Amino acid sequence: MTEEMERDENVFLMGEEVAQYNGAYKVSEGMLAKFGPRRVFDTPISEAAFSGLGVGAATMGLRPIIEFMSWSFTLVCLDQIVNNAANVRYMSGGQYKVPIVFRGGNGIAHQLGATHSHRVETIYARIPGLIVVSPSTAYDAKGLLKSSIRCNDPVIFLESEKMLNETSEVPDDPEFLLPLGVANVEREGSEVTVVSYGRTMQRVTRAAVKSLVDEGVDVELIDLRTLRPLDTATLVQSIQKTGRCVIVDEDYGYCGMGQAIMASVYKRVFDYLDAPIAHVHSDEIPVPFNHYLEEAMMPSEERVIAAVKDVCYR
Amino acid sequence: MAVAQAVEPKEVTNTQGAKSGSQGSKGEVERARLRMMMLIRRFEERTYQEYTKPGQKIGGFCHLYSGQEAIAVAIAAHFRKGVDALINGYRCHGHSLALGMDPKPAMAELFGKATGCSKGKGGSMHFFDAEAGNHGGHGIVGGQLPLGLGFAFSQWYKKNSGVTFCLFGDGAINQGTHNEALNMASLLKVPCIFMVENNLMAMGTQVERHSAVTDLSQRAAGYNMPARNVDAMDLDIAIAEIGKAVERGRNNEGPSYLVMNTYRYRGHSMSDPLKYRPKEEADKWKARDPITLYEARLREQKLVDDPWLETAAEEIAATVNEAIAKADSDPHPELDDRFDDILAETYPYGS
Repeated sequence: MTEEMERDENVFLMGEEVAQYNGAYKVSEGMLAKFGPRRVFDTPISEAAFSGLGVGAATMGLRPIIEFMSWSFTLVCLDQIVNNAANVRYMSGGQYKVPIVFRGGNGIAHQLGATHSHRVETIYARIPGLIVVSPSTAYDAKGLLKSSIRCNDPVIFLESEKMLNETSEVPDDPEFLLPLGVANVEREGSEVTVVSYGRTMQRVTRAAVKSLVDEGVDVELIDLRTLRPLDTATLVQSIQKTGRCVIVDEDYGYCGMGQAIMASVYKRVFDYLDAPIAHVHSDEIPVPFNHYLEEAMMPSEERVIAAVKDVCYR
Repeated sequence: MAVAQAVEPKEVTNTQGAKSGSQGSKGEVERARLRMMMLIRRFEERTYQEYTKPGQKIGGFCHLYSGQEAIAVAIAAHFRKGVDALINGYRCHGHSLALGMDPKPAMAELFGKATGCSKGKGGSMHFFDAEAGNHGGHGIVGGQLPLGLGFAFSQWYKKNSGVTFCLFGDGAINQGTHNEALNMASLLKVPCIFMVENNLMAMGTQVERHSAVTDLSQRAAGYNMPARNVDAMDLDIAIAEIGKAVERGRNNEGPSYLVMNTYRYRGHSMSDPLKYRPKEEADKWKARDPITLYEARLREQKLVDDPWLETAAEEIAATVNEAIAKADSDPHPELDDRFDDILAETYPYGS
C-alpha cells in the first residue's frame, strides 16, 4: 500500500482504526505518519458510509483502499458493494470506472464466534462487475494487492487475520505485480489435482499435499489466487492431465465456492475423470466459539489426505 | 429548437448563482428557468401518457417529478459543470433535464433504447450523465447517500471548490445510510449539500406516520451542520436558500442540510392511484404550483406575456413529442451488448 501511495497521489487509505491506532491489526502501521491525515483516515464504525464513500470517490477518479476490520462486517454494507460498486458502470452504460480495493480479513480467524467468522467469497464472487482475490502467501499478497490497487475495477481482496504474521520472500521491486485472474500451479504433478486458495491453502492444504507427496502421491497443487474471474483454463488443463481433482476450502459445501468451481469445469473435464471431483469444506453449522468445535468444523490435513486417497482409489 | 440549451445560461452558473444575468436580454435567465420547469412538467406528463397507453412502451418502475420542478431548476442555477456533482434517488428525470440532458436520450432511456442516456441498461430510475456531473439515478432508497459523501470527499481531496448536491426523498431519512453519511460528512467537513425532497410521502406512508418528527430539519440536529426548511414551491426562495449552502460548501465550511418542502402530484410510481391522499390537500398545494407561481411573478415583472408563454408551450410540446417519436423508432441495444460495460479491464490483468 505504501509503495502504491508513493506512486500515485490519488490512492488513499480509509477504514476503522487505520490511522491513529496504526491499524486494528497493524497492517497500516506508520502510514499516517508517512502520508499525513489527508491520505490516511480513521472512520467511525459506519461501514455503509465509508464503503460507499470509496465507491463515490472512485467514480470521481480517486483510487481508494477501503479496509474492513473483518469481511463479516460487510453484511451491513452489502448494498454499497453489490449495488453501487459492482453495478454503477453497467447501469450507466459504461460511463464510469470504479478503481477501488476493499480489503480485510475473511473467514474463520480463531474463536471469534459465528458473527465474525463468515466466509464471504461466494457472496461476492457471484456478482458480475466485481473482481475477487484471495492470496495465500506474503509474496502473493504483495503482488496481487499492488495489481488490485492499479486495477480499474472494484476488487474484493480477501485476507486473513491469521495470516498477517506469515513471512515469505517478497521482492523489493516497486513494479513487482502478479496478474489478476491467473491461478498459480504451485507444484506440478501427474496423479491428482488439488485446488485451494487463501487461508485454507496456508492452514492445511500445503501440509496435506506435502504428506501425500512424501507418501508417493504425485499431486499437482493449484492456488487459485483469484476467485473471480476464475482461471478455468489452468484448472481444466490440469484436471484433464491428472484425471482426478480435490477442491479444498473453508467455505460451506452447499452453494459454496468449491461447488461453484466444480460446476465451472465439470463439463470440460468429465470425459477425462477417473473419479468424481471431491470437495473438502467446512461443516454446515454456524461457527462455534469453542476452540475444539471450531477446529473440528474446518477442513483438516487428515480430511484432505483422505479425500485425495479416495479419488486416487488408494 | 433550443430547449436542451435552456439550462442556465452561462452568466448565472457562477458562484453568485442566484444572481440574474447581466448579459443578454433582460429576463433571459428567468425565462430559461420558467421554460425548464415547463419542459420537465411536460416531459413527465407525456411520460405518464406513454406509460399508460395500450401497448405500453415504457416498462419497469417509473416515478414522476411533477410538482417538484423548482428544486431541480434551483440546483441548476448554482451548478458548476466540471466540478460539481449531483446524485439522486430514483425520481431523477427532472434533475437530468435541468442539468442539460437532451430530452431525446432521456426519453430513449425510458423506452430502453440503445440511444438512451444509460444505453437502455439503467431505465427510469438510473439516468446517468457523468460528463454533466449528473451521477444518477439510484434505485435503492438511501443507497446513494454514501456515494454523495464520496463525491464531496473527492472535491475536498482535489481542492477544486466543487460541491455535491446529494438528493433523497423524505422516505430515505429513515435508512441507516442517512445517519452514517451525515455524521461522516460533518466529521470530514466535506462540501456535501444533503437535500431532502420532502414531498410528505414515503411511497404511500405520510410523513407523520414514518418520521418521529415532522419538522424534518430536526433530523439533522445531531450532526453539527446547519439545517433549514425551504419553501421549495417558490423557485426564487429555493435558489436563495440553496445558494447559502453552496457558498458554505465552496468556502470549505462543510456540509449543510436542506429540507425542500414540496409536493408530488402523481403517485409514488405509476402503479399508485393516490387513493390515500385527500383531494383538499392536493388542491391546497396545487394552488401554489411552482410553475404557476413563477409564471405569475414573471408576468408581473413584464418578463413574459401570453404570446411568449404560448410559443414556449408549443415549442416544448413539439420537443417532447419529437423525443417520444425518436425514442419509439430508435433501435434496441444489440443482444450482444448485454455483455458490455461490466468491467473496465480485460483479464488476465497486469500480466
